[in-house]
Amino acid sequence: MKRFVKENSLSLFFLVAFLLALAGQSFAGNAAANDRLLSEGGAPISWGQYVTSSDFAVDVAENWQSEYLQFLLFILATVWLVQRGSPESKKPGDEGGESDAEQKTGRHATPGSPAWARATGLRQTLYGNSLGVLMGVIFVLSWLGQSVAGTASYNEQQLAQLQDPVSWGGYVTSGDFWDRTLQNWQSELLAVLSMVVFSIYLRQRGSPESKPVGAPHRQTDVEG
Amino acid sequence: MKTPTVLVVVGALAMGAAGCASSDRVPAEQAVTRFYTAVHDRHGEQACSLLTPEAAESLRTGGQTCAETILDLDLPGGQVRDAEVWGDEAQVRLTRDTVFLHRFPQGWLVRGAGCRPRGDLPYRCEVEA
Repeated sequence: MKRFVKENSLSLFFLVAFLLALAGQSFAGNAAANDRLLSEGGAPISWGQYVTSSDFAVDVAENWQSEYLQFLLFILATVWLVQRGSPESKKPGDEGGESDAEQKTGRHATPGSPAWARATGLRQTLYGNSLGVLMGVIFVLSWLGQSVAGTASYNEQQLAQLQDPVSWGGYVTSGDFWDRTLQNWQSELLAVLSMVVFSIYLRQRGSPESKPVGAPHRQTDVEG
Repeated sequence: MKTPTVLVVVGALAMGAAGCASSDRVPAEQAVTRFYTAVHDRHGEQACSLLTPEAAESLRTGGQTCAETILDLDLPGGQVRDAEVWGDEAQVRLTRDTVFLHRFPQGWLVRGAGCRPRGDLPYRCEVEA
């Protein structure tokens, strides 16, 4: 047990932090929703009602979709695009999907390689893109979830303000949907840009996300 | 390990949100029918008891009680045509009126009646919270 925790501490830390933040969001969001309901002449709702409401669902989904889009773009863009000096980038000249030998696939697989890396054809193609595919699928589902929950949440507000509700199609072309979407996208894209550029010149001793402290600024594709 | 959980949660969120639109139409429609039955039967007290507290308060004007004012308003009413429920809010369309309701622990109460559309602006209602 102790060994399991030690060897998986990074995942466990983020899992616990995620659950605490989600729980905190649910209580804070419930308080904010009740403030709004009371000001509109409605009745406050319980925590249980709030976490099963469209308000909570859209707030969760809109953040999830942007995070998974961020990682999808980062994973795919770094195949083809480079940044000299960044530990997040491959060396200039190494752009592309690389050879079987470099990727240890097919007959270049090692004894410890996953079975699907040793396979050829569709299975190897699927496994060779599985990280991006999974991130893409979760992004699309989260964005779809945001649109459906957002329609319900938006329509509840519309009715509370004595206005007509809209269809799903009307919602996904509305300012509310794109405001929620783009305000998340811009912050995620800025965060990636910052990570790529700052890590050229700045260091975090001991972190694999940084170059070694003494590595030259122009050195690319090294992690400390 | 995390993937199926994420997919299930996203699916549940989407389906849960979608389900809000189709449930509870009948109780909202019944609340409107009870409200208009009270108005047509000249039972002002009963009609006011089916309004939200703020809507009832808005009808206590000029020394008149809610029960007296609501019978003076000449609310149009009509047959129920359709209804939409989103979360704790509902809109019930009648042949001559549109009614807005809010769900309280004790059931649906009318927050807007005698409402006329104004394009993209909120409806203007004779009774309004």
